[in-house]
Amino acid sequence: MKYFTSPRFFVLLCLTVGLANASCNRHFVLRKGGMYTRFPMDSTITDDPAFVRLYAPYKQQLDAEMNRVVGRTAVALTKPGNVPETLLGNFFADALLTEGRKLHPEAEFSFGTKGGLRTELMQGDITVGHLFELMPFENELVVLELSGASVLQLAQFAASTGGQPMAGMRLHIANGHAADIRIGGAPLDTARTYTLVTYDYLANGGDNSRGLENPVNRINLGKKVREALIDYVSGLSHDGQHINTKLDGRITTDE
Amino acid sequence: MTASTLIRNSMDASQRMNRRHFLKQAGAVAAWSAVSSVPFAASASAGDQVVLTILHTNDVHSRIEPFPMDGSRNQGLGGVARRAALVRRIRSEQRNVLLLDAGDTVQGTPYFNLFGGKVELELMSKMGYDACTLGNHEFDNGLDGLAQMLGYATFPFLTANYDFSDTLLKGKTRDYAIFRKQGIRIGVFGLGIELDGLVDPVRCRGVRYLDPIATANELAAQLRHDLRCDLIVCLSHLGYQYQSDKISDRVLAANTRNVDLIIGGHTHTFMPEPESIRNLDGRETIVNQVGFGGIYLGRLDYVFERQSGKKALAGAYRYDVSTPMAAVVG
Repeated sequence: MKYFTSPRFFVLLCLTVGLANASCNRHFVLRKGGMYTRFPMDSTITDDPAFVRLYAPYKQQLDAEMNRVVGRTAVALTKPGNVPETLLGNFFADALLTEGRKLHPEAEFSFGTKGGLRTELMQGDITVGHLFELMPFENELVVLELSGASVLQLAQFAASTGGQPMAGMRLHIANGHAADIRIGGAPLDTARTYTLVTYDYLANGGDNSRGLENPVNRINLGKKVREALIDYVSGLSHDGQHINTKLDGRITTDE
Repeated sequence: MTASTLIRNSMDASQRMNRRHFLKQAGAVAAWSAVSSVPFAASASAGDQVVLTILHTNDVHSRIEPFPMDGSRNQGLGGVARRAALVRRIRSEQRNVLLLDAGDTVQGTPYFNLFGGKVELELMSKMGYDACTLGNHEFDNGLDGLAQMLGYATFPFLTANYDFSDTLLKGKTRDYAIFRKQGIRIGVFGLGIELDGLVDPVRCRGVRYLDPIATANELAAQLRHDLRCDLIVCLSHLGYQYQSDKISDRVLAANTRNVDLIIGGHTHTFMPEPESIRNLDGRETIVNQVGFGGIYLGRLDYVFERQSGKKALAGAYRYDVSTPMAAVVG
């Protein structure tokens, strides 16, 4: 790189130069009244066509990748705001658990937050671009070993926020509190630990979640959530199946 | 597109722009009062004055194309090809231009996910960026991903408060660079934000974080006194300000000496104009930031006056003596 030179060379040159001019301090003085201009980058500025040409091949490759169909969903995966359990939430949590188990077979349940799901998926083909829109963040899968008490806190968090995406865990929301909490079909046992698949954003305290802050153990799986989603959808598609997520009553409520 | 189209369109843009003075108090010399129109030029005895134009961006976040027309707040804004056109026009009008960026060049569009920073940094290089600092998102693909990214840039990455000596980034960044423009020496250094809690520890293993204020004071004094810089610029990814006592550009400005300008980032702050803050010496430090996504290009025009008499001659002499270095550092 042409700008680079060793600091030593710099100092030496400057010292030499400095000695030759020992009598002088600064020979330029900053004047008052500088001017600031803020240019909006809007359509009144015409593109430099050379730059459009430079990124065109990347754009073409990117568009092709984003338009790549990885699978198909038989139902629209939506997330209406007024219900505790949604098709999109179930799809997302099922994908986390399935793909998490491929890397960490002991995983018992998964958890995410509905705020992290940025779009819904329409019935039909699912493209890479759709999954980018659903999960634009670079979050990565994390496995947490949690005490039963922490799992209870997590379930309470889910109940107090009107339900959150989960798989392998079921609960009932009664007056904003979690009841009848089951993991892998068995009632929550606060005397033992459980293995959860989630992602770094939540494990690091994001979304004001509760219950994840003091894990007994943490393993970063080094796989992006988006890649897990792509693998989940394309895996099913490879097996000749379509996404056919159901509402299975994993979260119920009195209201 | 013809050149005249570009200029007419850019002039339209300039009429909608905010143009403001930002230095209320500067060097010890009497006030310079004239306010010029576009292009910015020194009035009076032009031979004694040198104008330096600093162009800057921050948190462009892989926004290669303008924001998509999807009804969102920033739809249709930004885009690297527009910025390139504007920068080229300004360079054709101004003799002394520096183009700088305050970090988070990447992450935010699939261009980064697919190409790992190659597109962003190659286009910035082509546009003639002079220097950039590291934001937290430059670490998103880990230190090896960052090392690979740096290889796509023909400009230096400046960062003084990440100690990379125990990592594979050792020697791949610089604390500072000195640029010479018509004899003016501009020292530029970089400061990054604490990575704890922002970046996965796995992705920045072995990086030691150094106190930004102590680092800035030490380096700015060296740039001012030992390396005799006429203007000292800090490219900062610390963030504009926080509710907590977390270190920010405003805190940095108030607690340092010798820093003339802080070009900030991280908080995606759309500052309507640069802010002037009194530093430890009671002098002005200017803080500025232009939002994110390449929605704006910031432009600061500084005017320098060559001191008269023997010192001016000495200056001219010094300029000649150090010409080889000018060739090295641009």
